[in-house]
Amino acid sequence: MFERNKNKQTAVPAAPQRSQQDTPPASKASQASHSPATNRSTAMIGPSIEIKGTVTGDEDLVIQGKVEGSVELGAHEVTVGESGKVNADITARTVRIDGEVAGDIRGNEKVVISKSGNVRGNIVAPRMTLEDGAIFKGSIDMDPGEAPAKVSLAPKTSGSPSDAAPELDLKSG
Amino acid sequence: MNERQSSQLLPDLFESVAEDQCITVLHLGPVLPETMEYFSSFRCKLHVNDLFAELPLSFKPGDELTVQERMSSLVSFPEDTRFDVCLFWDLLNYLDQDGVVALMQCLRPHLATTAMAHAFTVHNIRSPQRDCRFGIVSDSEIVLRPRHHKVPEYAPHSQGKLKEWLDGFDVKRSVLLAQSRLEILLELRV
Repeated sequence: MFERNKNKQTAVPAAPQRSQQDTPPASKASQASHSPATNRSTAMIGPSIEIKGTVTGDEDLVIQGKVEGSVELGAHEVTVGESGKVNADITARTVRIDGEVAGDIRGNEKVVISKSGNVRGNIVAPRMTLEDGAIFKGSIDMDPGEAPAKVSLAPKTSGSPSDAAPELDLKSG
Repeated sequence: MNERQSSQLLPDLFESVAEDQCITVLHLGPVLPETMEYFSSFRCKLHVNDLFAELPLSFKPGDELTVQERMSSLVSFPEDTRFDVCLFWDLLNYLDQDGVVALMQCLRPHLATTAMAHAFTVHNIRSPQRDCRFGIVSDSEIVLRPRHHKVPEYAPHSQGKLKEWLDGFDVKRSVLLAQSRLEILLELRV
């Protein structure tokens, strides 16, 4: 068996912490339910909002509405809420999917598909979590272009279970 | 309820993986969290295509598309994709001959020269239907999770017939498990 890639996780710079004084409270939506208790601000696209085009910014984003185009928040967290429908490519530090996404996802740190999530597309992320019940069709690239790390066959022990496995050849079933 | 089961063939599945190789894995079923967690620890590219969601994949009178045409529309990959490992698990028990042959026709151009595959069939084709989802827990352990709904088109095949239909793969090893389940390791015929 090939060896676990212990060096795979690279240090990803943390998203800049912003105080609540930096942004007027009236311009910001509620904190994302999945965000840690930090001062980082979070914007929200509400359930009745539809956006076509490119969404960029410098804060975390929760999408409960519909987005077509692309979402590019490389240093921040994007959450597609249960009512969110995204037909777009998403790039963010962390991406969490509770709703529906048709498009490619790049999570510079991590991608999570929750049990209510439905994703059709290709994912690139060094770490991936998928909860039981999630629907996913596509590919997941767990090796997003980092420096080659050592991957090798694990040394075989003398008492390997496969050595003792009975060989069957049931040609006729 | 989850059932964990040791696997004597899983360690062999990756034996042909070279050092520094980033492997490409095809998973033709519902992916479990355990499988994702397992492969997250490796440099790899995992393709997930749950064909169980598309069952039944047999031809019925009145169908517009043949099984081959349907399979081709469901199982397609970028031209340069080459799979090192294919995880069929119990899918072959739910495809008929046309389905197995069509699947292999779709996969063959995308198999690496050292490709291996892992599957669960049955020793006795009259063994009762046990619908499970499978996942990898560790290098030698599999988790089985019962399905909530009965999967259609259960019609397991003998190993002899599968060997004939899985044109491109040879059965390298088989291990008889409890409840007449047969764990098989396939390797690409050179």
